Amino acid sequence: MAGGSAISGLVGARVHRKEDRTILTGTGRYVDDVQARGMLHAHFLRSTVAHGRITSIDVDEARKVEGVVRVFTGADMSAITEDLSFAQPIPGLHSPSYPAIAHDVVRFVGEPVALIIAESRYIAEDAAGLIEIDYDILDPIMSTTAGLADGATELFGDVPGNVVHTDEQLFGDIEAAFSQADHVVEQSLDQHRWACNPMETRGGVATYETGSGQLVYEASTQTTHTLRFLLAGWIRQPIHQFRVTANNIGGGFGLKFSAYREDVAVCAAAKAVGGAVKWVEDRNEHLVAAGAAREEQLTLQAAVKADGTLLGLRVTMKLDAGAYPINPPATVYAGLVRTTLPGPYKLPAYHFQHHIVATNKASYISLRGPWAVETLVRERLMDKIAETCGISPVEVRTRNLITLDDQPTKMITNVTLENVTAAETFQKLVEMVDLDEVRRQQEAARAEGRLLGFGVGTFIEPAPGTQEFWAAVGFPFGSEPCRIRIEIDGKVTAFTPQTPHGQSHETTLSQLIADELGVGFDDIRIVYGDTDATPFSMLGTGGSRAATMASGAAVYGARELRKRVLEIASHMLEASVEDLQIADGVVSVKGAPGASVPMGQIAMGCWLAPDQMPPGTNTEMEFVADYDGEGGGFSQASHACWVEVDQQTGKIEVQRFLVVEDCGKMINPAVVEGQVIGGIAMGVGGMLLEHSAYAEDGQYLTATFMDYLMPSAPELPEIEIEHMEFETDKVVGSRGVGEGGTVLAPAALLNAIDDALAQVGRPRITETPITPTRMLELLGVIEKE
Amino acid sequence: MNTREITVTVNGRKRTVNVEVRRTLADFLREDLGLTATHLGCEHGVCGACTVIVDGHTERSCTQLAVQADGREITTVEGLATGDGELHPVQQALRDNHSFQCGFCTPGFVMTIYGMCEDKKAGRPVPCSRTEIREELSGNICRCTGYQSIVDGTEAALAGTAGKES
Ligand code: FES
Ligand code: FES
Repeated sequence: MAGGSAISGLVGARVHRKEDRTILTGTGRYVDDVQARGMLHAHFLRSTVAHGRITSIDVDEARKVEGVVRVFTGADMSAITEDLSFAQPIPGLHSPSYPAIAHDVVRFVGEPVALIIAESRYIAEDAAGLIEIDYDILDPIMSTTAGLADGATELFGDVPGNVVHTDEQLFGDIEAAFSQADHVVEQSLDQHRWACNPMETRGGVATYETGSGQLVYEASTQTTHTLRFLLAGWIRQPIHQFRVTANNIGGGFGLKFSAYREDVAVCAAAKAVGGAVKWVEDRNEHLVAAGAAREEQLTLQAAVKADGTLLGLRVTMKLDAGAYPINPPATVYAGLVRTTLPGPYKLPAYHFQHHIVATNKASYISLRGPWAVETLVRERLMDKIAETCGISPVEVRTRNLITLDDQPTKMITNVTLENVTAAETFQKLVEMVDLDEVRRQQEAARAEGRLLGFGVGTFIEPAPGTQEFWAAVGFPFGSEPCRIRIEIDGKVTAFTPQTPHGQSHETTLSQLIADELGVGFDDIRIVYGDTDATPFSMLGTGGSRAATMASGAAVYGARELRKRVLEIASHMLEASVEDLQIADGVVSVKGAPGASVPMGQIAMGCWLAPDQMPPGTNTEMEFVADYDGEGGGFSQASHACWVEVDQQTGKIEVQRFLVVEDCGKMINPAVVEGQVIGGIAMGVGGMLLEHSAYAEDGQYLTATFMDYLMPSAPELPEIEIEHMEFETDKVVGSRGVGEGGTVLAPAALLNAIDDALAQVGRPRITETPITPTRMLELLGVIEKE
Repeated sequence: MNTREITVTVNGRKRTVNVEVRRTLADFLREDLGLTATHLGCEHGVCGACTVIVDGHTERSCTQLAVQADGREITTVEGLATGDGELHPVQQALRDNHSFQCGFCTPGFVMTIYGMCEDKKAGRPVPCSRTEIREELSGNICRCTGYQSIVDGTEAALAGTAGKES
């Protein structure tokens, strides 16, 4: 349905998106669309070696190129900036600081070694080709195993043994669990690197006003406020003279949560040249240098009873952090994996150990559900337990899942679960699938020489999570503000610290405010992405917080203003507040339509002549609400995946994908479905196609979209979604769904492939991605290299 | 700088411009003509974000040079919707189906689907099934949506049902 000026009942409807007119007509303003008078263009020259000491750099020829304005070497840049540091007071964390442009040692292929500022990008790239650099090559560390080896070359002076962080935590009596076990089930997984790859790469336009000393950085970022306070120190810019803005953002997926050395260099360059400098990395640079995610190796040992009941779990994780730390610190990833891994299952004892290791690769970054490997390994382990105990993948889960009846209860990681419906989504999923029929079809297919696989999985998504959850992880769970204003004519402007980049917050927040305040959907504007205008939040858009946190702030803000408007109107209309209603921006007495006053009239009085408004009323038409999340909570879902494996070519076709999800009250089902389907597409692509691959010498191998394969429309299935909307007594019952698809889909998919492999007597997957070549190896058709 | 004068008709408007011979058509449209709706997602011919219509054909603008467009007629997204705020039926169909999220890939998809609809008008073959539509869209990458909503929108655009259901 269309938005129009409907008066209520928008929440829960498939309201047309506010964002769409702009994006469909191409009138958005992405970073590369910014054109300013005299604007200069930045291009980074990047290291061609994985690990080496710069012995000389000669930029003389580059400086002579007509149209080149400045060339910064690492030394030039370090003279005007501080080193980037993401260090935090976390025990045992070794977080080396590093310069915006390398001037001593380079530690990955793609590390910036010079910055050219020129009149055009073409000229800047020409000049880059004239820079001469010599390196003394050092041994590259290209795996966690190599990094941890005795006598391994150390990347940094202050990261002993290349160990960025290591820790172990014990919950419950793990020895007792294993001594009581009927079976010990083991599993390991070596997950490959893959990347966020938003269609818009990283970039920003920094504009320095020499007169006032103000710097404006218009960036492609998920978090304007954090970018501002991080950069301000590093570029020596007084923070009150520094504004960070964001307009349209072409996707982020976690990548754009951090501040990067390129941001530092571009802002510093704008100050140095006294004008506007644009930097937009190209896809090649993006693939090589922006960082990638998910490179983790896990081994699990489960103590189980003969009937499949979980008694205890031992987990070891090695995380390949790449060379340089970014935001958040790597301990947050480890904490997320550790805390979430038990998921919605009863687990009496648990031991988790991790090693985060520095290697000569681009940074390990956040990617849509950065903790996802916990669900991947747990759900695959559940299948292996089922196989060991001779029960079905459905039974093993049903026996161990925590149901609503069991709650409130505590996860073994000290997180209270309440209103968590993972078991109920799984139950629903099972009802929708005839497992016997699936097995019959598989048998019939095998008789024809075809191979079909079926897999399931379930999980909880900390979207937004709870205080306890984030305390266990080691990351703050902040409240969320929203400034909301009734304008002089009764229209509404709301300011959110969210920095939406596809999540439709302009639409969903407008739906909520329209319903609360009784104003038209089109009479509301959502302002985001401007540190001069929006209230502070550290997080911006990330962690799937908005559905609960931004919504709550908007709802509470609208309620407070509604209260003020009604009190004033009750004097004007001589009716009690309880007898008043607001519809389409007009306050009227219920049952007496003639007795009414437009909100615009009230607002005009409040703004222009507050002393003439009814005495004792609050005439402030602007309010900043701060929403604490009412304790927060979780989303949950269960997935089922059907695949066909071509035994000749190794191609895996995802034939069917079924989702039962529960994110509480849906604000806009079309938005929910978009997030779920998009998330699953990313998970499927990540497992089957995408790989940020390095050679042993540290060269980066997948630097174009011809090598780094992104899923396109034919590779993806039609995804069927069943919604459940569990209701709680909270004011805001909506939970996030931004990341879950990407978290759970790989598990259901790999379980389906393992199921196919089992039918032809082949061993399970231990390494990803499952490319056709890997599949043929798994099938025993070709030898493993 | 090695330049050459070219004359192109862009969205119905004839332009004679001196361009550097190495300038891509995409950069020419975006930087020289200020038509920034045409996006650049890869600059090596894979993602389709830069798709425009050249002399009636759906083409990539990142892998050809501006000088190659001399004498040709080009349509970009800016050429679809009329100035009065009415969306083109293709855009309306995509809006009705919540086809997109961040919008970066969007102009490329809009032009690809517009191209299909023009083919249909001209009596040329167009994809019928959802599977065929997926194949036809395989030259455009979207990182946000998983394509299903874009397939929905394409079906509606081809059926000409935009705006007909509320
Ligand atoms: S930008 Fe032209 S195909 Fe990607
Ligand atoms: S909508 Fe974001 S890339 Fe397609």
